[in-house]
Amino acid sequence: MNEQPVDLSRARIGSENKPYLVIRNVTKRFGSFTALDDVSLDIYRGEFVSFLGPSGCGKTTLLRAISGLDVQTSGVIEQDGRDISRLPVGNRDFGIVFQSYALFPNLTVRDNVAYGLASEGVPREEITKRVTQLLSLVGLPDQARKYPIQLSGGQQQRVALARALALSPGLLLLDEPLSALDARVRARLRGEIRDLQGRLGITTIMVTHDQEEALTMSDRIVVMNTGRIEQVGPPDEIYGRPATPFVADFVGRMNFLEGRTLDDKRIDVRGATLSVEEPIGFGRGTRVTVCLRPEDIVVNGLEDHQPNRLDMQIGVMEFVGSHFSTVLHAAGTNLNVTADLSMNDVRSLGLVAGRSIPVQLPPARLKVFVHPPQG
Amino acid sequence: MSLAAASPGLTQPLRQEISRDDLLMRAGLSVLGIALLVFVFLPIAALLRKAVENRAGDFVGVANFERFLATPALTDSIGNSLFIATTATILSTLAAFLFAYGLTRTCMPGKAILTLVSQIPLLAPSLLPAISLVYLFGNQGIAKGALLGASVYGPIGIVMGEVFWTFPHALIIITTALAISDGRLYEAAQALRARPWRIFWTVTLPGARYGVVSAFLVVFVLVITDFGVPKVIGGQYNVLATDIYKQVIGQQNFQMGAVVGLILLLPAVIAFVIDRIIQRRQTAMLSARAVPYAPTPHPAVDRLFLAICAVISMAILIILGVALFASLAKLWPYDLTLSFRNYDFDRMDGGGWASYRNSLVMASSAAVLGSAVIFSCAYLLEKTRGFTIVRNVIQFLALLPLAVPGLVLGLGYIFFFNNPANPLHFIYGTMTILVLCTVAHFYSVAHLTSVTALKQIDPEFETVGASLRVPFYMTFLRVTLPVSLPALLDITIYLFVNAMTTVSAVVFLYSPSTTLAAVAVLNMDDAGDVAPAAAMAMMILATAAAVRVAYYLATRLLLRRVQAWRER
Repeated sequence: MNEQPVDLSRARIGSENKPYLVIRNVTKRFGSFTALDDVSLDIYRGEFVSFLGPSGCGKTTLLRAISGLDVQTSGVIEQDGRDISRLPVGNRDFGIVFQSYALFPNLTVRDNVAYGLASEGVPREEITKRVTQLLSLVGLPDQARKYPIQLSGGQQQRVALARALALSPGLLLLDEPLSALDARVRARLRGEIRDLQGRLGITTIMVTHDQEEALTMSDRIVVMNTGRIEQVGPPDEIYGRPATPFVADFVGRMNFLEGRTLDDKRIDVRGATLSVEEPIGFGRGTRVTVCLRPEDIVVNGLEDHQPNRLDMQIGVMEFVGSHFSTVLHAAGTNLNVTADLSMNDVRSLGLVAGRSIPVQLPPARLKVFVHPPQG
Repeated sequence: MSLAAASPGLTQPLRQEISRDDLLMRAGLSVLGIALLVFVFLPIAALLRKAVENRAGDFVGVANFERFLATPALTDSIGNSLFIATTATILSTLAAFLFAYGLTRTCMPGKAILTLVSQIPLLAPSLLPAISLVYLFGNQGIAKGALLGASVYGPIGIVMGEVFWTFPHALIIITTALAISDGRLYEAAQALRARPWRIFWTVTLPGARYGVVSAFLVVFVLVITDFGVPKVIGGQYNVLATDIYKQVIGQQNFQMGAVVGLILLLPAVIAFVIDRIIQRRQTAMLSARAVPYAPTPHPAVDRLFLAICAVISMAILIILGVALFASLAKLWPYDLTLSFRNYDFDRMDGGGWASYRNSLVMASSAAVLGSAVIFSCAYLLEKTRGFTIVRNVIQFLALLPLAVPGLVLGLGYIFFFNNPANPLHFIYGTMTILVLCTVAHFYSVAHLTSVTALKQIDPEFETVGASLRVPFYMTFLRVTLPVSLPALLDITIYLFVNAMTTVSAVVFLYSPSTTLAAVAVLNMDDAGDVAPAAAMAMMILATAAAVRVAYYLATRLLLRRVQAWRER
């Protein structure tokens, strides 16, 4: 994985330690239903932040509170040092791209992009210049005369982006911007949007339910569930060190193994004894859930006497394309774990269903939560 | 958590500042709400009040109702009206179902021309079929013998006239219901080897059942509140709608007119409520994954339905043809040479050509003013944030006219605007009141069309506009309006055609200087000038048809050019 761009952007963010967008104790109720429950969050200038979570988690509600489309029941939102909590939509400073793009179908691409400029009283030549500039920025320099319906989904998306950027807003809001597109276009646009955002340095918030989108595009991810923030952090941290079982389950695939602590470093998991690297700290005999990603299970290059080395039998091998997915069973225990076996390992070790092989569940990769999960 | 809950910030929900857009939208809604209150609600309230007052204006409770019930001539009308409405509705719905089935479920040829013919009655006032039936089966009718001695003046004539006039209304509703069925259900039924008859009973009919009930209700209300047909061909057979007219115009007994009006309001309100409930269910009928049904050829069935539809279409064309011929014949049935003598309206009573010109002015004004007001109101209702109570009130007022028969509304207008204490009294007897009453009368359907059109538009247009700091009215004018143009034109045409053909509401409101064409038909027929009445009815039909054709050409040619963005 290339860590370089992430480090760069963090350096830029770090250079200014006053947050651009401050969200404090924001709660939103619809009747008796609490859509946002006391949410607090800081977003820094130039950052690309994703709100990630299942539908109904509150991510869209939070975006609508930031944009003023649905003002919060209580709490404060400050943008660039200004309290915007009660400001109507038109008095805030943001550009927005909706899932539907909401392009005006009866206006040309040019007029769509110029829509905000024209009513600001910008002179005609300047509008034309700015539109040309914006359209080449999003890679559509020669489509100005077309109507939205004549463009592909990806092109429409980029026009919507150009229109949102036309007034040089301080904040860019993206509401599930890619989910209406097919997979191939989506993957390409992920990179393009991220690249554009980086070049403009515009603070950006994206709402998405697609973890891959959030992981590839964001400086930081805000994982939300039932109106609360579960975890905020850079993608690698969210993926590698989930703070709660919810995050562990929602982002990526995960084995959840029930067990009981034996001491501060060892857990009895369904008859197998597993060691962990960091002290558990729950006390002996606590019921816990041990989490392990299927791709973290090691089958190749094992040495004797490594910790958490078990003899396991391979179950049905499911061909997924880039790898095999299977269930491993530890002999003499009730322990079953889902494992992803790389094509290389399968070929070089001659792995087939029914074979028993030595397997390591790396202690550093085991994440322990108290069971049943709290919160 | 408990500490936070106690803090003042949580006890009082945050309120967004009112923006200029919000303010303008609320002001607009308030103005339109007051207009609806004055031109829909208060006249109806005035009618309610009149029904419990005596001639001197004192409150008398239910005394008027007791007097009504004690007058057999009036109470008989209830039975008569129910009998006519039930019979005509069953026949009209049945014919419409067969016709709609032929159009949507068979591969019979000539669907386009059959559809066209079936819609013609919509363009004519209800007086036209009645006049035509008089020429066909009346005392000097050419086909008098076909009734085997029975008189057309009375229930037979009324039912025939009403079936003709209501048929296209029922047809539109049932065709829609049959057209939106899921083809997969039929494939599944066939795969399970169900016989055609069983498929009809278990798939077709349940799928169309709401449409059929809805059509039944609409036609029932149309018939029971129509007064054109029974007025012309009813003879001595009294129905509620003609009773109102007689009480008010004939005897100047406004109180009794109000009582009969209230009784007429009852079936309309009940039907309205049932229809609303049904429509709410109907929307859940078709899933997004449904596949439209495509009929497959069955020569025998196709031929059978072609025959049925051809017979129905012929009946429509005969009725129209007779009216046309009668209007052109010099002296029916003695001198059948063609002439335009009967079109020389200025020689007859009833307002002459001036009433036709009045109708054109009235219908165009109602169409323009009505579509502008109704569409703007629907837009503001959809887009205004907050302001819930006012919005709910307007929502109610916008649908109220659907439950109020034209006669009842017109009567309410007399009571409300003819009151010298009313500051708006000055519009009484003017063209303005005719326009306003007509817009109010046909408000609901146009409103529902607007709402449907607006709901199909991306709800985020205004948000995007606001985020680009463009005021809402700019987005309305530059985007929403052009995008909704087809629906807006639909409304305009709907209002124009109905304003041309209606008699029910305006019959109480015209003055000698503002006679209308449809009213002239009524008055000329009343005075015995039946042929000129037919001629004027043909003028109305021709005008409505011409406007429809112009509209068709406009949408075909003009819209294609102006709205190039709709094409890929």
